[in-house]
Amino acid sequence: MSALIDDPDAPNRGLNARQMAFYRFRRNPLAVIGALIVLSVVLAAIFAPWLAPSPESAGSFVDFRNRHAPPSWDHPMGTDNVGRDVFSRVIFGYRISLGLVVGVLGVAVPFGVVLGLVAGYFGGWTETIIMRFTDIMLALPPLAMALAITAVLSPNLINAMIAITLLWWTWHTRLIYRIVKAQMNEDYVEAARVAGASHVHILFRELLPNCFSAVAVKISLDAGFVILFGAALSFLGLGVQPPTPDLGTMVATGAEYMPEMWWQAVMPGLAILYAILGFNLLGDGLRDMLDVEL
Amino acid sequence: MSALLDIRGLSIGFSAYGKHRRVLHDVTMHVDEGERVSLIGQSGSGKTVTMRTIIGTLPMPPGRIETGTIHYAGKSLLDLSPQARNRLKGTGISIVLQDPLLSFNPVLTIGRQMDDIIRYADIRLGRARSKADRRAHMIETLRKVQLNDGERVLDSYPMMLSGGMRQRVLIGMALLNKPRLLIADEPGTALDVTTQDEILALLNQLVREEGLSLLLITHNLGVVREMADRVYVMERGHIVEAGSRDEIFHAPRHPYTRKLMAAVPPLYGDKVRTVTHAATRRLLTVDDVSKSFRTRGGLFNRVTGEVQAVKKVTLNIDQGDIFGVAGESGSGKTTLAKMVMGLTPTSAGEIRIDGRPVSAFAGTREFRKLIQIVYQNPGSSLNPRRTVADQLAVPLKFTGEGRQAISRRIGELLELVDLPQAYASMYPHELSGGQKQRVAIARALSVNPRILVLDEPTSALDVLVQSTVIDLLNRLRDEFDLTYLFISHDLSLMRNFCNRVAVMLRGEVVETGLVGEIFDAPKHPYTRALLSAIPVISPEEEARKPKVTKEERARVLATSTELEE
Repeated sequence: MSALIDDPDAPNRGLNARQMAFYRFRRNPLAVIGALIVLSVVLAAIFAPWLAPSPESAGSFVDFRNRHAPPSWDHPMGTDNVGRDVFSRVIFGYRISLGLVVGVLGVAVPFGVVLGLVAGYFGGWTETIIMRFTDIMLALPPLAMALAITAVLSPNLINAMIAITLLWWTWHTRLIYRIVKAQMNEDYVEAARVAGASHVHILFRELLPNCFSAVAVKISLDAGFVILFGAALSFLGLGVQPPTPDLGTMVATGAEYMPEMWWQAVMPGLAILYAILGFNLLGDGLRDMLDVEL
Repeated sequence: MSALLDIRGLSIGFSAYGKHRRVLHDVTMHVDEGERVSLIGQSGSGKTVTMRTIIGTLPMPPGRIETGTIHYAGKSLLDLSPQARNRLKGTGISIVLQDPLLSFNPVLTIGRQMDDIIRYADIRLGRARSKADRRAHMIETLRKVQLNDGERVLDSYPMMLSGGMRQRVLIGMALLNKPRLLIADEPGTALDVTTQDEILALLNQLVREEGLSLLLITHNLGVVREMADRVYVMERGHIVEAGSRDEIFHAPRHPYTRKLMAAVPPLYGDKVRTVTHAATRRLLTVDDVSKSFRTRGGLFNRVTGEVQAVKKVTLNIDQGDIFGVAGESGSGKTTLAKMVMGLTPTSAGEIRIDGRPVSAFAGTREFRKLIQIVYQNPGSSLNPRRTVADQLAVPLKFTGEGRQAISRRIGELLELVDLPQAYASMYPHELSGGQKQRVAIARALSVNPRILVLDEPTSALDVLVQSTVIDLLNRLRDEFDLTYLFISHDLSLMRNFCNRVAVMLRGEVVETGLVGEIFDAPKHPYTRALLSAIPVISPEEEARKPKVTKEERARVLATSTELEE
């Protein structure tokens, strides 16, 4: 055992990587704010029926005596054109938004990541075909594509989700492809091959773990954009249909009463801004914390 | 006479991640006018922090000077205003950095980068010179570093120059504004030993002719012996020993200095350990093997040429041999290793292991149980995101071992390479460089191969760690009757570790034989040039190095002073 004692650079006794990363995160106030915002949005979405002051407002509830009421203690965000509580609808709206995020990224990310891994690892024709197809998809204007898809399929939440998913995976393919290309220069890939490891092992056990941090950051930044994209589709009438409380739909309906009854459009708009801000701050914080370049 | 550079009681601490650590402890040292001083220490000892504090590029925070003073020519550097301090850059103190490629901006010509240095120094000093004057000055400076084709060098981009030339240009840049103190951080370390030798000779000559003072920062004791009048030894932020060169080399007092000296593999003399091994059964034959790579370029990726990486190499390695393949960068030694591992096909010739051609069974389970490889840099050959146990398990999993057998074997392997069992659940970044390399060795041994290819296994390690890894390799060889194919550019190490050696130059084996024959009576001029360039730590070794004439050397080696066509 003398060899160990002689070893002059003894093991790192300081903080481990996780502790260091957490320290960097904690020292970044914007990231902490972002995390708190995201947490509040997620909790609001999960506990919407219990948190909302008037849960019935989420549906086709009508209270004409209270229509167009400005923000007050009873209705913090005012009421809409049929007297529903905007605040309650915003809270339920987050359910739809987050559902969209989970649905879109839950399909697009694994699909994009696997394609990126395969393209970067195998190279050659596989790479050419996958990456050129990705480039073609990236060349299509996303909003126009989404409009076309939802218009053809009939506008509803599921079809909006499908449209966004079809466009979203490309970014992850490109990101992972680039990371894998860089990792292929590392000796550990060849070492695994020398050890007899299968392609599946190298792809998912050796390379994939080295992509995790980048994907985590990208997902966080993506979440905000998916919310925005979904809201945009709904605003144009191609996404979620009334009376389901979607933030984009609410802005669209509220816009008719601008500027006198501004809260009907502005409050859901601010709610969208709040969620996106949270995800973006969190994403930036994660990027600094995990030290990845996108 | 007062010292040109005088550091007294310097302590520096770093605050990071909410913790405070002192990295320099009460460092006192000085450099006199015209003196060559070396600061020697292992990585992490605080040499670079010292250097950066002197030139004022230590990031503060996180760094903080806690106590101490630095005086340059009587002025207290730490009390100077930033402007006054900037005026000293290049004109008072100048620096030559370690990596000749990273120190250049790749998209600007050498001329532009040198011109910037002069221009900004002129602005700082309130001077002005015409463009032609500046160019004349650059060419004159390049001549000082023996680059006579200054015009062409100035119009080149960094990547068009060889490593040695880049290092020369870097030294030239440091000299542009006529400094009095030159700080050199590991000069030539990134270069081949023959080129490093030229660079060191150049620095010595400049110190003599230009009346410079030199502060050399290095980890290489051999370099220190050639380059220093006085030496400071640094260990973990403390100066543990200081003295004249001869004192340090002949009568080191501090145990750390003695340990460092003992860890340097001797090239000649009584301390050399000659490994002998009686010829036994032939295990690995490389028969007239060549490898050429096609270069592609232009429209439609056409084949534009062919590079011969390995030319007609023949080697015979017996069971139990430690066979060394020596060569500088670009000699084809790594390509040879890849062909032996069956990772790259040969262009001509045949490699046979245990009588069977590699091309016939590379990649099979049988092949893997016969031959494995340890890479140069464990930071790259270990996956940063997998635990030690996960990585040790890979070769076992793919030779069909069961889960229980694998976990038992991981325990055995860690014990074999002297690592505690608790390390199994650690990630590579939690281990030191030497420990990582032990893990890599354990992984290679996991399936009980008979041959290990060692591709510069210690070149990324400090000399003290190197000696422990070499001890481990020797022990493992005796224990398991292993055969090593050891690839390295470090001939001193090879002298003490291998029993047979082949020397490669530009893809060809120029000389091969028993280790004693090659080192004591080298026949080929390249072998002689290589041996004579190695920095050694005693005059006895120096005297026994083979002598090469300039003409002989020029015949086998490209110099770093001529531009290639």
